[in-house]
Amino acid sequence: MIAAAPRTLTDALNAAPATREFITAWNDEDDCETVTFGEFRRRARVQAALLRKHGAAAGDRIVIIMPQGIPAMTVFAGAMMLGAVPAFLAYPNFKVEPSKYRSGLGGVTANLSARLVVIDAQFPDEMLGHVALGKSTQLLRASNDVSGGEEKTLDPAIGPDRLAFLQHSAGTTGLQKGVALTHAVVLRQIEHLTQALHIDGSRDRVYSWLPLYHDMGLIACFMLPLACHVPVVMQSPLNWVMQPESMLQVITRYRCTLAWLPNFTFQFVPRRTPEERWSQYDLSSVRALINCSEPVRAASMDEFDRAFAPIGLKREALQSSYAMAENVFAVTQSGINGRTGPARVWADGARFRSEHIIAQVAEGTSGAISFMSSGQPLSGNEVRIVSDAGERLPQGSVGEIHIKSDSLFSGYYNRSDLTAQAMVDGWFCSGDLGFLLDDELYVVGRKNDLIIVGGENIYPQDIEEAAAAHAAIHDGRAVAMGLYNPDTGTEEVVLVAEVESEELLQNAEEVESDIRAFVVESAGVAVRSIFLKPPKWIVKSTAGKPARSSTREKLLREHPELQERVGRDG
Amino acid sequence: MTAEQQQMSEYVAHLIRKPDITIDENTRLVSSGLIDSMALVDLLVKLEDLTGLRISPGKVQPKDMDTVALMFATAQRVGKPRK
Repeated sequence: MIAAAPRTLTDALNAAPATREFITAWNDEDDCETVTFGEFRRRARVQAALLRKHGAAAGDRIVIIMPQGIPAMTVFAGAMMLGAVPAFLAYPNFKVEPSKYRSGLGGVTANLSARLVVIDAQFPDEMLGHVALGKSTQLLRASNDVSGGEEKTLDPAIGPDRLAFLQHSAGTTGLQKGVALTHAVVLRQIEHLTQALHIDGSRDRVYSWLPLYHDMGLIACFMLPLACHVPVVMQSPLNWVMQPESMLQVITRYRCTLAWLPNFTFQFVPRRTPEERWSQYDLSSVRALINCSEPVRAASMDEFDRAFAPIGLKREALQSSYAMAENVFAVTQSGINGRTGPARVWADGARFRSEHIIAQVAEGTSGAISFMSSGQPLSGNEVRIVSDAGERLPQGSVGEIHIKSDSLFSGYYNRSDLTAQAMVDGWFCSGDLGFLLDDELYVVGRKNDLIIVGGENIYPQDIEEAAAAHAAIHDGRAVAMGLYNPDTGTEEVVLVAEVESEELLQNAEEVESDIRAFVVESAGVAVRSIFLKPPKWIVKSTAGKPARSSTREKLLREHPELQERVGRDG
Repeated sequence: MTAEQQQMSEYVAHLIRKPDITIDENTRLVSSGLIDSMALVDLLVKLEDLTGLRISPGKVQPKDMDTVALMFATAQRVGKPRK
C-alpha cells in the first residue's frame, strides 16, 4: 500500500524507508549495483542541485537521454524534486544515421521547449553535431560525481495537479506525442494497481528488463516501486535480449515476485534457455508475471507454463493486462474480482473474420480460434467497445476499445490537435480493436495499423517514409505492416513497395538491401521481408493514398506462405 | 576468412533464411537491417561454440556483432577461457 496517501511522487519517495533496497541494476553476475531508497534519494538530490545550477526550475521540461540505469533514474527523480517535468527518450541506437537522430531530437525538444537535455558522459558526439535544440534549450552532461547531497528535502511546494513527467513512444511519429501526466493521475493509477495486485513493499520485489522510456518500464518498474517502496531488480533491454536466460537467473537469485513482460518473452525465454539448465532455476517466489503491451497469446503462456511448472512456477502467476501511456498504464488486469486468471474462449473463425463477432464454440472445433483475455477494468476505469459509426457495441462484438478513467492523461504536450482527435465525449479512443465477453476485455488487433514488435510500438509511416526515399520506389507507394510470427511470439515487420518501372525488378536484391539499410538508418528497425511489386500494384484508397488493410489482404492472397503468420492460436 | 568465420557466415545465412546470400567477413549485419536484436543471442551462442570462449553478454554491444570479423575480434577482447 502507498503510505499515508502522498500528494506527489516526490512525497512518496521521501516517505520510503531509507535502508530498504530500491534498485539493483544487474548487468551480469560480476557486475551489479544496489542502492537503498536513502541512497537513491541522496543521489537524486545531487542531480537536482546540478539541474537547478543549470537553470532548471519548477515546470521546466527536461529531456533525459542516458543509458538505462541508476544515474538516469536519479536525474529523473531529481528533476521531479525541483517540480520540473522530466521525459526519458530512447538512447541513440548505433544503427540510426546521426542526421536522422538529430532531426528527431530537435523536433521533440522544440515541441517541449525543453530547458535542458541531459546526456551521459559517453553520449556519442556525432549524434549531437549541430543539433538545433532551440534558443532556450541547453545541453548538459550528467555528472558522474554523486558525492554530497544532504538528507534534507528541497522540494518546492508543488500541487498534485502539476505535471509530473512526459512519456513518449519511439519513432518520428511517436515523438510528436508526449503523453502529459500529473502527479495525481499517476498516484491514482498506482493506487488502483496496488489494490488489484495486493502489492506490499516489505515482501514484494519486481523484476524488469523493460525500457524506462516505455510506459510499462517507467510506471510498473520505476514509478510504482518508487511510490510503494518496492525493491526492483533491473536489466537493460539489450542486456536481457542477448541473454534471455538471465531472467530466470535474476528471479531465482533475488526471489522476485512480480514482473510485467510483453507476450514474446513467454516464448523467447524457454526457447533460448538450454533445457538442461532449466532445473538450475527456481520460480516459486513469483506471484505474478503479467503479459502486457502486445496482444496476449494463449500458446505463448502455455509454453512458458509447460517449461517452468517443474521449477516452481504457479499457473495462477500467469496473468495479463491491457495498458497504455494515455491512461498512465493499466486499464485492465486479470485475476481480480475473485477470478483466478485470464479467461480463454474459442470462437468460430469464419464468423469472427466476416461478421466481427464472437460466436463461441467448443475447444478444438475445426476452424476455431482462441483468444485470451486481458482481464477486467481496474477500479476507476471503464471500457466500451464502439463501432466505426460510433455506436456502443454489445458484448461479443468486435470494435474499437474506448477508455474512461480517473487516471487519463492531460493531453499530448503542446499538441491539442492530436489530443482532440483522440478524445470523444471524455472517452479516450485507443485505436486498438477488441471485444468484451463476460466483462473481460480481449484485445484482438489494431485499427490504426500500429506495428508492435517485442512490445515496442512501431509506426508504419516511419518505415514507409524511409523506404519511399529510395530512387527506385514510386513516391508514397510503400506499405509497412506487422505480421505475427508464431515462432517468435511477436510481429515481424513486412514491407511491400512499388518500383517506378518494371525493369527495376531485375535489380530487386540490390534495391531490397538498400531499402533495408535506409529503414534501419532512419527508424532503427530491421525489416524481416520486403516484397517489391510492379507499378500500380498497391491498393489505393479513394483519396489516392495507399490503403494499408486492402494492400495487406492482397499481399496475403498472392503469398499464401504468409497466411500462417496471421492465424491466431488454435 | 578462417574456417570458423566461414562457419559463422553460413550460420547467419541460415538464421535469416537466405541460404543464397553472400556474407563475407565485413558484410554489415545489424546496421544493414539483416539481423535484428532478437537474433543476437543466437549469434553469441554460436560464437562461443566456434571460439571455445565464454563471452559475457553484459560486455557486448550490438555494434560489436555487426560483422563476422567484428564478432571474432569481440570474442578475443572480452572472451574468457571456459572453466
